[in-house]
Parts: sequence; structure tokens; C-alpha cells
Amino acid sequence: MKRRQFLQAGIAGASASQFGCASHEPIAAGPPGQSAVAILKAASYSADLAGLLRRGAQLCGLEAKGKRVLLKPNLVEFASNAAINTHVAVIVAAVELFRSLGAAEVLIGEGPGHRRDTIALAEEAEYRRVITQFDSIFIDLNRDDVSPVRGFADLPEFYLPNTALQADLIVSLAKMKTHHWAGATLSMKNFFGLVPGSVYGWPKNQLHQIGIDRSIADLQRVFPRSFAIVDGIVGMDGNGPIQGDPKSAGVLVMGSDLVSVDATCCRIMGIDPERLEYMRLTAERGHVHPGRIEQRGESVQSVETRFALIDSLKNVRLS
Amino acid sequence: MSDFLSPRLDFLRATQNADGGWGFFPGKQSWLEPTAYALIALHRDPASRTNFERGWNLMRSWQLPDGSWKPCAAVQEPHWTTALCVTLHGLRGVHDQPFQRGLGWLLTTSGTENGLRFRFAHFLRPSVVELDPSFKAWPWRPGNASWIEPTAHALVALKKARSAGTNPRIEERIRLGEKMILDRRCGDGGWNYGNRKVLGTDLPSYPETTALALLGLAGNRALNLRAPLEVALRYWRETRSPLAKALLSVSLRSHSIAVTPADLTILGEKDTLINALEIIGASGVLV
Repeated sequence: MKRRQFLQAGIAGASASQFGCASHEPIAAGPPGQSAVAILKAASYSADLAGLLRRGAQLCGLEAKGKRVLLKPNLVEFASNAAINTHVAVIVAAVELFRSLGAAEVLIGEGPGHRRDTIALAEEAEYRRVITQFDSIFIDLNRDDVSPVRGFADLPEFYLPNTALQADLIVSLAKMKTHHWAGATLSMKNFFGLVPGSVYGWPKNQLHQIGIDRSIADLQRVFPRSFAIVDGIVGMDGNGPIQGDPKSAGVLVMGSDLVSVDATCCRIMGIDPERLEYMRLTAERGHVHPGRIEQRGESVQSVETRFALIDSLKNVRLS
Repeated sequence: MSDFLSPRLDFLRATQNADGGWGFFPGKQSWLEPTAYALIALHRDPASRTNFERGWNLMRSWQLPDGSWKPCAAVQEPHWTTALCVTLHGLRGVHDQPFQRGLGWLLTTSGTENGLRFRFAHFLRPSVVELDPSFKAWPWRPGNASWIEPTAHALVALKKARSAGTNPRIEERIRLGEKMILDRRCGDGGWNYGNRKVLGTDLPSYPETTALALLGLAGNRALNLRAPLEVALRYWRETRSPLAKALLSVSLRSHSIAVTPADLTILGEKDTLINALEIIGASGVLV
């Protein structure tokens, strides 16, 4: 075990320590073909987000007719002056989008990692007030019924919420944020909220014991029927994902290949995705290399916004 | 008080599953956590005797060979809710073999931060997460680090277990567990899940975990808890979370501070934990 790996595994006991990935080995080429990722400019949350998401869905060729759709926002903690959570306006627009696409059912589900009272958190983030009939379409994934899956991080069984396992499509409504351990938290890291606190606790320390990067990669593998909409209208930089500063990037990023969506978001943020360990671990199932990502809508260059990084993440800065 | 308790007791009796347990919400799969809280809430209520016995039998059937309890029928793994079961046995004065095995599991379980690997890593980079790894406390599940909530529940269970007879191991684990809780107190005076400072940044406390930390510390008269109890009272007045408010009621009661029960809320009617905790807080059945 190398010194760095030793440190990661040890400190993971109380939280986690990743500090990016310094590897310069070539990253996997990914599956054949290309992945479409749509970048849409949105100056503020009062923009026509429903219209923008419809355009993004068309650009990505998204189909949802007859599907049971689970929208998974990033609802972590609440602070009135911070951009921690997926903005409610993006969720409202997503509900409208999937209903207009003919989804059989549109649910919203989240299992916050620190706070026990998910509903109270949803209230603070204005989800309950703004989203029509919120209580009837929201599932607290921390306290949902669960079923075992096999092959997660070499564990004999790993338990996940039935609402997520039974969904035809899980839509990661992520927030564009830096992450002090993983480098960036985007559509794939957002799946940590699918893991039930009723089994794994608050925080879900088992994921840290497995390793944050490995856990991100395995969750992405367990839930392949997914789509990503990343809220980068106002993201977070610096000491994310909770203590950082609001950072306006003015974009929504969408696509059905979560690896490509996250790689694109990283480049927008000024982060080299090939330096993030979880991107390397997922690169066989999606596209990280820019030559294999078909950028639709805006170009990365036109929306580039350099997100501030803490010192321990300077090695993941895009050069 | 009966106006407050009656609808909540009715709710628990009406939402008990056919297997004898309770789900987090009505009609959902039985879980040990809501079942244990419901049983603690009902255990002194004469009108709930049949409900209690059915739930008690289910709870007892979920004990694993190592003495721990599993969290629900679907999950075959040891779980922190073992502490709630030991507490319930203590409240009933049942100190039989299942109780002793559960107690034994609690006494032999501790967080990974107490191990050599973590301690060495922490020695190399102490500022990543500021904590003292020498205190032996409790994880959510074996193989994980210690956190405030499972530690608080284990302390409540061990303090109830004292009535079964003296055991120096119990006293030692209580001493170390209380030290861990005191060590993890946030700069604002309360507690969060268990990290007071990460990468040099102070983290804020939460109402619900402040309640649980103080619950775990209850009964130790040598501690001066005036300042954190004031924080808890402020949280009780200000929080909009019915769950946090209910936990604060239970916790403050354990420190002989009675607070006026919260109004019945639509949300509370649907949530087993909130209803059970509101009964426990108002009736004092945990004290």
C-alpha cells in the first residue's frame, strides 16, 4: 500500500481524504462511439428553465415516455447564503420536462448524508413550498424500504432503496460544486444520496470506508439507466461541497452519459477530469476524453468559469 | 397532557404492521428503529399491552447470533439500533440471555478511529479531521468510525443496564463514550453528526444531534452542561424540524427540563419516529 493510499484509508474512518488523483497514466478510452452533452446558458434562476431543459432534452435525444422517473436533487444542508443544494427552480422545470415527455410517473427522492429530517430540510430549501404537491411525490430515500444488490465494492450485499431500484430512469439533478475530498461533486457523486441512512447511518460512513471514488464508480455502475442535469447556474467553489462560496457559472449541463457530463462540467470549472480518481474508475463505461464527447448547444470554451480550488486540490487544475 | 398523548398513541396502535413492527411511515416495511421507539413509547401504556407484546416478539426475533440486532427483515447485518433494544430491555427490567448478549455486543463494538491504522494516519495529518481518536465510542455499524448518534444511544443503553448489576466494563465504556461526545462538541456550543472541524474549518451544530449528544450525557452530575443545555433550549424554540423538536423534548426531559409539547402537525401524524418521540418526551418514559 502506497503512503497516499494508506492515508486515504486511515482518515476515511472519520471522514475521507482523497485530495484528487495525481496519476498521469492514460485514461480508458471508454465504449465505442461518442456521447452527446448539451450545454445551455442560463443567466439566472428566473430564466425560462423549462424551455432550456426542453431544448437540452432535444439536443440529447432524451426519451422518457412511459417511464417511471426518479428525480434525484442534491439536497445536503441548508444555509440561506450558500449555494449548497440544487435550486428549486431547476427541479420544478425538470418535473415539467419529464411530465411533458410522457413519463408514467415522476417522483423526487433524496437521502441527505448529514441531516435526519429530510422533510424539514426540503422545507428550508423551499422545495415543499414551491413544488406542487411535493409531499405526494417526494420519497425520503434514507427511510425507504430496501433490497440487496450484489457486487457493490466486493461486498456480499449492499442495500439500496426500492424506489431507486425500481425506477426506469434516475435523473441526477446535481449541483456544480468543488468537493474537498473528491475534487468535484457532480452528477455521479450526487448518487451518494441514493444510499439509505437507515442502513448506513448519517453520515453514510460505509461509503468512506469503501473509498469515495470507488463508491461513486460503483453507484454509477449499479444505476446505468440514468440521465444528468447539472445546475451550474450558481455553483460552489473553494471548500465545497458545503463550506464553499457561491460561484456563478450560468450553465445547465445535460446528457445521458454521466461520465461525459461530469467530464464536461469539470472542464467548465477549470478542473482536469483525468486527474480525478473517480473519473478514471468510470472511464470504461463512459467518455472522458473531449474527442469522444459531442458538445451540443454551447461550447465548453464559451462558458468556462474558473472555480477556486483549495490548496490540496491544486494538482487537479486544468492546465 | 392526555389531549396531546391520545392521538399519538392512537396513531401508533393503528399503524402497527401485521408482523408486529412499525415502518418509518404507515404501510411501509417494518424497521427496528421505529419499532423500538414505538415500543419505548407504548411500554407503560396499559391500553397498548397487546400492541407492545406483538412488537416485542418481533424485535426479539431479529436478534442475530452475535448478540446484535439487525435493522429490518431484509438486512442481515449488525446495526446500531441494538442499543435501542438493550435500552428497552433495561426499561422493562428484562435482564435475560438476549439482553446479556446484546449488552455484550455493545461492550465489544467500537469505531475504527480507535484502531492503529486510523491513529497513525491521523498522527500524520491531524488537521484533516480534528478529533481525539483515543476515546472508544460507537459506529453506525461495525467496521465504521464512531459518530455522535450511535454513541449517544449506546450510552443511554449502558446507563440503563447498570440496574442489571455492576460491571466495570460498562463504567469504562460510559466514561470513554462521554469523553468522545465532549471532544466532538462544535465551536457554537452544540453538536453535529460528529465532526467539529474539517480542514481547519469549524462546522456548525444541528438541533437533532445536539439533543442526542445531551441525551447520551444525561445522568452524569459531574458534568457542567449548562451552556450546551442553553443551546438546546434555543434550538427547541427555533427549530422548524418536528423530528428535532421531538428529540430535544426527550433530551431536555432527561436533564429535568420540561418543555411544553409541540402542537400536533400534519407531518407528525404520518411519521412513526416523530409520534413515538413526542410521546416519549411528553410522558418521560425514558427517564
